[in-house]
Amino acid sequence: MDSKFSKDEMIKLYINLVRTRTLDQVMVGGLLAGKIGGHWTSQFGEEAVGVGASTFLRNDDYILYCHRGHGITTLIPKGLSPKAFIAEHYGRAAGGCHGMALFREFEADLGIVGLSGTLGGNFVVAAGLGIGAKMRGKGQVVVCNEGDGTYGRGTFHECALMAANWKLPVIWGIENNQYMIYSHVSELYPKDNLADLAFGYGMPGIIVDGQDVAAVAEAYASAVERARAGEGPTLIECKTYRIEPHVFGMADLRGAKPRPQEEIDAWKKRDPIKLFQERLVKEGILTAADIERIGSEAKNEMEEAERFASESPPPEPETLQRALYAE
Amino acid sequence: MRDIAFWQAINEALMEEMARDETVFIMGECMRGALFGTSKGLVDKFGPERVLDTPISECAIGGAPVGAAIAGYRPIADLMFSDFFLISGDEICNKAAKWRFCHGGKPKLPIVYMSSTGGYVGSDAEHSQCNESLIMHTPGLKLVIPSTPYDAKGLLKTAVRDDNPVVFLYHKQLLGTKGNVPEEDYTIPFGMADIKREGTDVTVIATGYMVSMALKVANHVETMGVSVEVIDPRTLEPLDMDTIIASVRKTGRVIIVDEDTKRCGVTGEIAMQIIEQAFDSLDAPIKRIAAANYPIPASKALENIVMPQPNDIVAAIREVTGKDLGAPMEVEAPLDFRALTTGAAGVTKNG
Repeated sequence: MDSKFSKDEMIKLYINLVRTRTLDQVMVGGLLAGKIGGHWTSQFGEEAVGVGASTFLRNDDYILYCHRGHGITTLIPKGLSPKAFIAEHYGRAAGGCHGMALFREFEADLGIVGLSGTLGGNFVVAAGLGIGAKMRGKGQVVVCNEGDGTYGRGTFHECALMAANWKLPVIWGIENNQYMIYSHVSELYPKDNLADLAFGYGMPGIIVDGQDVAAVAEAYASAVERARAGEGPTLIECKTYRIEPHVFGMADLRGAKPRPQEEIDAWKKRDPIKLFQERLVKEGILTAADIERIGSEAKNEMEEAERFASESPPPEPETLQRALYAE
Repeated sequence: MRDIAFWQAINEALMEEMARDETVFIMGECMRGALFGTSKGLVDKFGPERVLDTPISECAIGGAPVGAAIAGYRPIADLMFSDFFLISGDEICNKAAKWRFCHGGKPKLPIVYMSSTGGYVGSDAEHSQCNESLIMHTPGLKLVIPSTPYDAKGLLKTAVRDDNPVVFLYHKQLLGTKGNVPEEDYTIPFGMADIKREGTDVTVIATGYMVSMALKVANHVETMGVSVEVIDPRTLEPLDMDTIIASVRKTGRVIIVDEDTKRCGVTGEIAMQIIEQAFDSLDAPIKRIAAANYPIPASKALENIVMPQPNDIVAAIREVTGKDLGAPMEVEAPLDFRALTTGAAGVTKNG
């Protein structure tokens, strides 16, 4: 199969898939052990979307991420420390946001600029980052990934309009995992493809197989190229599926009834890591020994991060005032 | 020092700050046309890249500045009417106010949200509100309400230079009023109340358009032997309680005037802080004058019932001093703000 990516780039995509899934599993463990104060929304089976979107971005490109997995699939490839991520979830001082945020991360040097707690709040921030990126004129882009449910927000219309009018370097990504808590996407939108939303704004609307990390990465790469060239925004819909319930441990429904098991099983067969691993082995890019090594390195990295977080002290009360206003 | 109009003072501050710092830009609906005059001429001087006209999209106008600020710019967003802050409530009260806090104090968010505010305009409930209690209630925002052209220019310059989201509200009735404004650069620190008039018998605390109303009443009752001190906090967050408490200790009598709704309003907050800090100095119950607990009606006859009136303040002074203040004060009709603003924008009303 032809690919625009080198062998090393393909391996990088694979490693990021494995690292994010390993971190997801560590987070589930932290939740079950009572170490996470809030909730955990597993991204199991959707890793290819975020990994494909963010692995090849520049450090000074901005990224806003889908709340699912609290952003791990985009944040870890963008360079976020898993130590800071886990410590934040454990409410510790060493957390990326000093225990203020649970599911948010902010690392200016990595272009990680936070997450809106209200869904649809990322769109407006992305538009503003796009204004700044365009003013600065250094070819920076903004990737704003959101779930299918979030594209119901009016803020998307306002910001899609703004980005299209002013040719802002923004890539609107839809991680369409087909479920908004209990509601199926087919009941939320009149058409099958959310990418069709792009039509009214005169921007390209691309549909991509969200289980194929290389396809996702290619789609984002072409949108990034377009944005860097000053040609404006692109909408990318990644078709994927939410394997786990909305929040780990809660009921798993479609409407008021249990989600059909055969639907879940069918999508499990299209697991993004399994698919990509098979491809890389077939193409001679990875051996069984490589796969084993990558898996154990990821496990060591995430377990060490978990130990670090567990041993980290809670934040000091002074953190509150320091965080509220800048001096 | 020359006299210029309130809208011109705002305009000068914007001109000077945009010239001083090229990361400052302004966005909003019809900014280039300058509906209230405040952004007049900016596009000629700074170009369309720094004076952005948006569609009707208050959420984007309120939220995009957060992203632009993170990206290293100092955006000014004009919401046109303070009523429209509610459309952008998530963006201003959640995103701008909380983004820094939620992210561990890492980002600085130098944003100014400005808009017209206030009533006495016969323009109904959704173009007449004062929302200062909502803004003051929200941790993470600062709140500026100037009452004179001098304060407007100096406070707006401070707002643009502040590294936090600042809400700056200009009252429609004040836009055409004139006052002394220096031509040279000056700023006014936040959290520093201004004693607009010294007095010894009663302390009246007021902001924005209510300051001019309080001053007229103070002049009126002075002829009947009552000396009123008028204090303008100028910023409600941060709030200069020290100046207020010092005045209360001097007069022992307090009236708080605010144009926002009385229930859960600014007057209640300031009154309670006075009680907590200086109850022993009070010689009479604190009186509150604020809008009645209704939306603002359009009919002048009804609007006058709902909105604070000069004679409401006179009556409160009578109650706290026990003095006979004679017949009700004669009240001039408020200025027609449409005439002021069309004039300010340079769109002649006489053709």
